[in-house]
Amino acid sequence: MKTIKVMLNVNNEKVTLQVKPYETLLETLRERLSLTGAKESCSLGSCGACTVLVNGTPMRSCLILTPEVEGASITTIEGLKNGEKLHPLQQAFMEKGAVQCGFCTSGMILTAKALLDRNKKPEKRDIVKTMSSNICRCTGYKKIIEAVEETSKK
Amino acid sequence: MDENLKIVGKRVIRSDSYAKVTGGALYTADLKLPGMLYAKVLRSPYPHAKILNIDVSKALKVPGVKAAISGFDAYGVKWGVFRYTQDHAMLPTDKVRYIGEDVAAVAAVDEESAIEALSLIKVEYEPLEAVFDPVEAMKDTAPQIHEQYKNNINIHIHIEVGDVDKAMAKAYIVREDTFKAKGEAYAMMEPYAVVASYANGYLDLWMPNAGPHVRAKALSNLLKLPLNRVRVRHINSGGAFGGRSEVAPGDLVASLLSIKSGRPVKLVLTREENAMCSRQVHDIIATVKTGMKKDGTIVAKEYKTIYDGGAYSSTGPIATSIPYYVYEECYRLPNVRYDGYRVFTNKGIRGMYGCHGRAFLAGNEAQMDLMAKELGLDPVEVRLKNGLTAGELTATKSKIISCGLKDTIIQAAEKSDFKKKWKKHTRNKGIGMGCVAIMCGFPMGFRSGSSCYVKINDDGQVTLITGMVDNGQGNESLAVQVASEVLGIPMDDINLVNADTEVTNLDPGSYSQAAAYVGANAVKAACEDARKKIIAIASKKLGVPEEEIDLKDRVAYSVKTPDKRMPISWITREAFFKGEPIVGTGSFFPDIDLEREWVSKPEGQMAGTYSFGTSVAEIEIDEETGKIKVPKFIAAHDCGRPINPMAVEGQMEGSVGQAGIATIFEGNMWYKGFLLNPDLLEYKVPLACDMPDIETIIVSSNDPKGPFGAKEGGLTIRMNAYSAIACAFTNATGMLFEELPLTPDNVLKLLEKNKGGKR
Amino acid sequence: MILPKFDYKKARTIEEALELYNKHDGNAFYLAGGTDLVPLIKLRLLQPKVIIDLKGIDGLKDIKKINNSLVVGPNITLFELKQNPFIKDYFPCLFESLEATSCKTLQMRGTIGGNILQNTRCLQYNKSLEWRTARGFCLKMGGKVCNVVPNSKSCFSNYCGDNAPSLMTIDAKAKLVSAKGERTVRLEKLFSEDGRSPFTIKPGEILKEIIIPLKKTKGAYEKLTVRGSIDYPLVGVAVTVKKDAAVVAVTGIGPSPHLYEIKEINEKSINEVADWAYEDARPVLNAVLTPLYRKKMVPVLIKRAFKRIGAGGGR
Ligand SMILES: Cc1cc2nc3c(=O)[nH]c(=O)nc-3n(C[C@H](O)[C@H](O)[C@H](O)COP(=O)(O)OP(=O)(O)OC[C@H]3O[C@@H](n4cnc5c(N)ncnc54)[C@H](O)[C@@H]3O)c2cc1C
Ligand code: SF4
Ligand code: FES
Ligand code: FES
Repeated sequence: MKTIKVMLNVNNEKVTLQVKPYETLLETLRERLSLTGAKESCSLGSCGACTVLVNGTPMRSCLILTPEVEGASITTIEGLKNGEKLHPLQQAFMEKGAVQCGFCTSGMILTAKALLDRNKKPEKRDIVKTMSSNICRCTGYKKIIEAVEETSKK
Repeated sequence: MDENLKIVGKRVIRSDSYAKVTGGALYTADLKLPGMLYAKVLRSPYPHAKILNIDVSKALKVPGVKAAISGFDAYGVKWGVFRYTQDHAMLPTDKVRYIGEDVAAVAAVDEESAIEALSLIKVEYEPLEAVFDPVEAMKDTAPQIHEQYKNNINIHIHIEVGDVDKAMAKAYIVREDTFKAKGEAYAMMEPYAVVASYANGYLDLWMPNAGPHVRAKALSNLLKLPLNRVRVRHINSGGAFGGRSEVAPGDLVASLLSIKSGRPVKLVLTREENAMCSRQVHDIIATVKTGMKKDGTIVAKEYKTIYDGGAYSSTGPIATSIPYYVYEECYRLPNVRYDGYRVFTNKGIRGMYGCHGRAFLAGNEAQMDLMAKELGLDPVEVRLKNGLTAGELTATKSKIISCGLKDTIIQAAEKSDFKKKWKKHTRNKGIGMGCVAIMCGFPMGFRSGSSCYVKINDDGQVTLITGMVDNGQGNESLAVQVASEVLGIPMDDINLVNADTEVTNLDPGSYSQAAAYVGANAVKAACEDARKKIIAIASKKLGVPEEEIDLKDRVAYSVKTPDKRMPISWITREAFFKGEPIVGTGSFFPDIDLEREWVSKPEGQMAGTYSFGTSVAEIEIDEETGKIKVPKFIAAHDCGRPINPMAVEGQMEGSVGQAGIATIFEGNMWYKGFLLNPDLLEYKVPLACDMPDIETIIVSSNDPKGPFGAKEGGLTIRMNAYSAIACAFTNATGMLFEELPLTPDNVLKLLEKNKGGKR
Repeated sequence: MILPKFDYKKARTIEEALELYNKHDGNAFYLAGGTDLVPLIKLRLLQPKVIIDLKGIDGLKDIKKINNSLVVGPNITLFELKQNPFIKDYFPCLFESLEATSCKTLQMRGTIGGNILQNTRCLQYNKSLEWRTARGFCLKMGGKVCNVVPNSKSCFSNYCGDNAPSLMTIDAKAKLVSAKGERTVRLEKLFSEDGRSPFTIKPGEILKEIIIPLKKTKGAYEKLTVRGSIDYPLVGVAVTVKKDAAVVAVTGIGPSPHLYEIKEINEKSINEVADWAYEDARPVLNAVLTPLYRKKMVPVLIKRAFKRIGAGGGR
């Protein structure tokens, strides 16, 4: 099968790739670009561990074909820091103890980022609803919600 | 006990969290080694069948395929955690015993070729009659799953204390009920993965595990390799909850493929494979008979509990015992008879679970409430009356060292206004309480203890070397925090080398609640050893007696004349000059009765200490739909001293989801040997919107032997949250649950039955 | 989990999409958000030769008011649609069902067209190839019998779309286009009532527009799930009230939504419809709660929806 040329802007870096037509964005990020922060947990869209931002919108990268997002800007967890400075959400997740095994963490932080970029001061209800797109098996979510709330208050 | 703690007891940022929030933390599936191959496993389509032949030759002809194996390429060894449970070949050659069992595997340059090759492996089976229900399996007419276990009874635990029959006869009231619960899925977010790399006669492995040392031992047996040639390396783990405790078939598969191909091999299971073929949780049927005095004192308990064990022993004897023990460690049971049966069925392997035993535990607690109600007593008082206290012995003669049970009950009851709400609940609203105790570590022979090494490096920074493993609970950070306290060196300056069988020493692993009590105690001892050496040099250099010196913020100083001080880095260099670099070693072995054996001698000291906890849940039942809502949950846990309260809370909150909300959501569904919900869509892991308002209460009982008084961080809630929900259900409806989970259909059926029963 | 091999094509116009479809002789699937399609392909339930991405077709992404109708392009995401002021104002039932669909992240990717045309589901169907091979293929996979209802020659898979039922209650129509031209049908006509192949849409036909008459309505959507997010409906009930009349649609049980009309709303007529819908519902053990329970919930949710509409200002 012929590969397809795809241009992406990944974490503010332009990349041009030859991908398989049936390659998911998650595979491209993890296997081709060694950005392993996005995780594969269910692979069927049920959990959100693979969430990345596509043009600022959170998306389950396990359900997206890379050729679909030709030309898009992709943000992964690796691209969230500003130099050495952590994104406020990363800082809050650490400080609030919202991270246990860490497998859901990148998806959670990116989902939260998209929310706060859209709506600087969401109500707690909105936060809970938005974060209910992703599964965490460890934390019981309390500290995750607190971390997002805390960041939104800053 | 030193009350001037600098960092222990503080809400510190976990040392592992930076890597996790930046995406830098590596998990097994993230690894890529030069020349690495991708493995795929061919699995049994039958629940029970004789293997007549396996032919992998065609698979080997697929371009890109570098190795193909089956059980015939293994060494004929069967693994068992105990001598008497050696029944698991991991890759069977005689017969398959569950759908999804590993039968053969290939390794290829990419996943596509591996998948193609799998379809070319030819296996001839002769299907056998299968059995899926443990009660059926115990019958004489049932098919035998293993030759050596008659009536498919894998383990029978019999415990007999006092005179149960006499006490029952004398009891004021007696009640007997049977409770069932569906097995749960661990549903750790990371599906099982392994990388095996065999080179130069050494096998290196990375996989999420809860004890690298036991894992390496099992693999050295299975592969007939000397133990020093099997090295289980450190890697982050995306959750375990008991499901990563033991060697997995995939470990053997990847190892064999790597040995055959001479290249590193990665195997990553899909979510469905992870649910069907790694580990599952036991389905349980528990019959609980209780005799009580008029004042609510428990005089006798009689139990028959059947555990659906799936196809292999796994941690069978432990799994068959634990639900009972965590109960007897909580309540005074003067007369008790426990018969626990673990029965083989043609389903996936069942292992220990952080929330193991919900039918048994929730059944006990809910029944107790119903009896209390009948006697006109209050559940809080009944629990206080029967609860054990420090210094007492459990039914099987294990001493309670420190005990905050009473405090957890009282505080949880007060915070929730329990007594009033329990008495005056409105229709279909209820409140319930569940208590439990947890052993911190249990007998594991010479592996019950832990050792640690610490070295102070030339710039005064520290490397800590411990076998402790972290599955997400925060054990790594715990070790660093304890070291920081003892050495007076900030956590940031402490590097950790852990859970790597090549460098670290034995540790019981993270499945017996031993990390804080045993592992961290060894860390503390090692650091104290190093501390002494630092202080000895400081004392000479500063000219102050050793007793006067403390370490803080990278500095050794005199407590009396604080300006007499010097950086620890200078002291370290001084030590290097002397040719005696500062290193410390330490170990901890809990005071347990090593004669104690799960089946043959269930008596004696079980653990170094016990933690205690109480959960309180409030529920509301929608009468029309049967849906239960849990608006409020209060969890109180006696963890000894919390090393990092934030981490302890995190464990408790996680437990409210995994055990509490699971009570109304979670259960595996089966059609014969087919798991119907092996995914994250139809298996219902609670979401943020499903969580109650949670309040956590940490009760500090300061264990005399725990490191800085610590015991264990939060597991009690994992084993009593379901009891709180079940008791709240009883409070709301006046009924006992029959089967967990209490999904809306299940609840509505009970409500209708109740209506029918009452006029 | 990797995908099987297929080719990917992005169409710029409807004509191009139709042409591509023709060229691949039917072994092609249209792709919108992919949240329904991609999992099916991953599980090898579909084995396309080519995937034709419709997202590059500009005309499919508009919402327009034309005469007295709202014309919705199928590629509008559920999230965008939810935010359109007409929806909340005119069609509360649809607003609620959009809000109740899966989770927020998936709403941002899933389209309304894909949502309507999502495949039916069954616990014994949405599984890996290995699982299904071990179990033996059922009717919907080309086998001879149903695996849930032994000996049955019909498929009881459930249509779990949340929004088609709401759209039906507000008289939505679908405009379909193929090489042969366009046709417009009432939404309910899209459903074949055959679980094996749940839609009447012809091979290669593209859903071009969803046309909703712009009349203010009252309504509600009741959805039964275990969890508060992500889950598909185990039963879903859409009710729209227009003056004295009402339309009720039941989803989540069986291969197509069921539609009921009430000429004059009163307690009796509501009860009648509730009973009727109860009789009609034929759930089988292919979703996570028991069939009998799901059946019982049909009238319960219908009455609830009416009650809520009444409470919200009344009829
Ligand atoms: C975890 C999870 C939970 C979900 N929960 C729900 C839920 O609660 N309720 C619910 O309703 N859905 C749910 N869904 C299903 C799905 O996300 C939504 O239905 C979504 O709206 C589908 O839209 P899509 O654009 O992604 O469709 P796609 O997957 O792109 O397409 C679906 C089907 O429609 C066809 N198609 C799409 N557009 C056209 C067109 N213009 N013309 C012709 N054919 C077309 C495709 O060929 C395909 O067969 C869930 C999905 C997941 C993964
Ligand atoms: S209902 Fe029967 S035929 Fe239809 S998908 Fe399920 S098993 Fe197959
Ligand atoms: S891995 Fe993509 S949603 Fe679970
Ligand atoms: S921290 Fe483990 S899954 Fe969320």
